[in-house]
Amino acid sequence: MVDVSSKKTLVKQLSVLLLIVAIFAVFNLSIYYVLTRRLANNFSDTSQAKMIDVAAYLPHNPESDLVRIDSSLKLTENLLVLDGAAALVPVYAAFVDNVYPKGSVTFEGGTFSDDNFYGENFAPDSKMQYKNTVRGYEAIVDGTTDILFCAAPSAEQKKYAEDKGVELVYVPIGLEGFVFFVNENNPVDNLTVEQIRGIYSGEYTNWKEVGGSNRVINPVSRLAGSGSQSAMDAFMKGQEIKGKSPFALTGGSIGFSFRYYMDGMVGNDSVKMLSLNSVYPSAENIKNGTYPVIAKFYAIYRADNTNENIPVLIDWILSEEGQRIIEETGYVGIQ
Amino acid sequence: MKSKTFRKLAFAIVGLCLIFTIVHMVYAIHAYQHCSIIYFIGKELW
Repeated sequence: MVDVSSKKTLVKQLSVLLLIVAIFAVFNLSIYYVLTRRLANNFSDTSQAKMIDVAAYLPHNPESDLVRIDSSLKLTENLLVLDGAAALVPVYAAFVDNVYPKGSVTFEGGTFSDDNFYGENFAPDSKMQYKNTVRGYEAIVDGTTDILFCAAPSAEQKKYAEDKGVELVYVPIGLEGFVFFVNENNPVDNLTVEQIRGIYSGEYTNWKEVGGSNRVINPVSRLAGSGSQSAMDAFMKGQEIKGKSPFALTGGSIGFSFRYYMDGMVGNDSVKMLSLNSVYPSAENIKNGTYPVIAKFYAIYRADNTNENIPVLIDWILSEEGQRIIEETGYVGIQ
Repeated sequence: MKSKTFRKLAFAIVGLCLIFTIVHMVYAIHAYQHCSIIYFIGKELW
């Protein structure tokens, strides 16, 4: 009797222990299934910030995917340090490739490596850098970069310059569509501008309210200070982007980006860009002005920068040659 | 198993599971804040 009773107790105890493990396992698997699995490309610090494959856009490398023209401008001295956003690396790397002499782009250790947090190892004396938007704005204000190629700054970035007593000059050099995208299997293909503002301000929380299926909307935002998040803040025209319930992570997501970055550089077939007000964000619709959300991108420099090559390079970027590079890269020229 | 032993074992297992879960959550929150939203939305199930 004692043995049977002991065995029953042991079975009960083991069952309880197994139940504890099972509860935690189900909880963690749920988190994995809904969230962690979708972050697999960010598992390490090394891959975390690889927004683009910088190796594909290295100047003076015949295998790089850069626009090459017979440039009338060749700079040989007082070379400006060019830096910029991930989405604009193909543009300003092409400027370097077409205008700067070989040897102006250098790497720590002598050769390119993307085995670090930011995915590049440009040497401190390299005339091309890639700090992306957030660090890039700090670099232009602090004077370690001469020209930054970026979207419009955030309020914080403007304040950072003001606090440091630095005046920045913003020269628009091209246009780009600000696009919204969803998973390719989301039945929604088109939203109005007001519907998107309603989604991000918390007015609409279910896709069925905007013509989709009965599923919670997960409005995804970006890192504060990134070019696309600053563009999104401007798009909202003063409406507050509301926080969302953690349960929204289980819903159907909507995100935002710039057209060429998304379509031309990342090229993920599992997502689709939405038409806005029934206009698809094609290069043609951005150029002819029918797409409703168009953002300018800029060449930005310090007003007190006395390098004589700044006006020379800016004029060339705005000339037929510079604009041709912008257009052939995949963006829309400003002229 | 003695009741005292069982309690100790249960606490140890709960503790290990909690540590694992907290590490998982911290990682998920950190990675979510820095992830590619294009990839994140592309991996969504419909």
